[in-house]
Amino acid sequence: MTVEANQVAAEPASVSMGFPVTVGWTHAAMAVYSVLRLNTPVNLKMIVEMHGPLLIDFRHHAFSWSTPLDQFPVDAVHTGLETEPTSADAPPYFELPGQDLDGLLWEMGINSFGGGPAYWLPTGERYRLTRWPNLTQHRHTMQQMQMMAILGNTYVSTSELAKLAGVEESEAQRLVNALSLMRILTRTSAAPATQVVPQTAAAKRQSLFGRLRKRLGR
Amino acid sequence: MGAGKTTAIESLSEIEVVRTEANNSERHIADKPTTTVALDYGEIVIGGEEKVRLYGIPGQKRFDFMWSILKKRARGMILLVNNDAPDPIAEMLTFLDDFRELYDRGGVVIGVSRADVAAGPTLAEFSEALERANPDMVIPVFTVDPRERDQMENILLALVVNIEMRAALGMTMANAL
Repeated sequence: MTVEANQVAAEPASVSMGFPVTVGWTHAAMAVYSVLRLNTPVNLKMIVEMHGPLLIDFRHHAFSWSTPLDQFPVDAVHTGLETEPTSADAPPYFELPGQDLDGLLWEMGINSFGGGPAYWLPTGERYRLTRWPNLTQHRHTMQQMQMMAILGNTYVSTSELAKLAGVEESEAQRLVNALSLMRILTRTSAAPATQVVPQTAAAKRQSLFGRLRKRLGR
Repeated sequence: MGAGKTTAIESLSEIEVVRTEANNSERHIADKPTTTVALDYGEIVIGGEEKVRLYGIPGQKRFDFMWSILKKRARGMILLVNNDAPDPIAEMLTFLDDFRELYDRGGVVIGVSRADVAAGPTLAEFSEALERANPDMVIPVFTVDPRERDQMENILLALVVNIEMRAALGMTMANAL
C-alpha cells in the first residue's frame, strides 16, 4: 500500500497508515506534506529502522528524534507511520521545545524524490522564496546558497535555476522540493523569464563570493 | 545594542580587531559593562592587497554620524538584532529604514542573536514583519551566535552572494561588486 495525500487527509483518525517498508524519504515527505496541507492538529510518528521513532508535533512546528540531523540517514528504512489526531489545547506530543521542524523538512526535501520533482509541484511554474531558510542551522552547500540568492530575488523555473547557478537540474530540483516542503516558496506560471545582466568571463572569475569561499575553505 | 557586533567581527577577522568600547550608560537596554562607541574594525585578506573590511558600528542613535559615513562606502550590511531586546522587530525595521540606501545599492542580511536564550519573536515573525513593511524585499534572516565563526562565515557569504546576484539581475544601483 502506498501512502498518498488523500489517504492521509481522509483518515486522520486512524492510528496506523499501513505504511509499506520503504527506503529513503520520498513517502515520508509525501505524508508530511499531506499533513501540513491538512492544517488541522495532527501528530505524526515515523518508525525508522535503526534510528528510533521520529515524532512530529505540527502544532508546535517541532520534532523529536534521537538521531542528530548532521547524521541524517539518507537511505533510512521506514517501517511504519502513524498519525494521531490531537487538539489545539492538548499537551504537546513530547517535551518541548524539541527541535525546529524546518531542519527536518530541509533534509527530508533534499533527500527525497531522487532529484525529480516532488509530486505536488505542477510543471511549467516559476518559483520565488518568501523567506530564506535558516542557513546557520541547516547543512547546505555553497551551490545551494547561491541558488537561494537567485530564488530570493526573482522568479525562476527549476531549469532556469540550474542554468543560472551552473548546477545539474536534479540539484536545483532537490532544493526546490525542500523549500516547497518547508512552505517558503511562492509559485506562478505567469512570471516572465528572468533576464540576467551579461557578465564578462573576467567578471565571473572575479566573483567575490567565489574568492571568499575559496579563502574560507568552503 | 548587545547583539554581539564586536564578537561577530572578532569571529571573522584575521587580524586583531581594533576595538573602541567605552562604559555602557544604557544598561537598562543591554546589561553589559561596555559598548561600542565609534567602530570596531577587522578584515579578511582575500589575496594580495584585496581585503574584505569589516566595520562594526554602534546601534545607538546618538552615534548616527558614524552611520552616514559608513553607509555611503559599504557594499553590504549584516544587521545584528538582539532577540532579547524589548522590541527586536521594531528595532530591525527602524535600522533597515535608516540603511535603506545600502540595501538599494548592495544588500542586507539580518542576524538574530540570543535567539536560543530569549523567548523573543521567531524567524518567521521577523520575516513576516519585513514582508509587511517591504513587500518586494526578501532579506535573509538567520539566527546567529556571533561567537561561532562557522555561523558568521555563513552569514557573510550569504550577504556577498546576495549582493552579487542582485547586481547580476540588475536589481541594484551597482551592477558589479
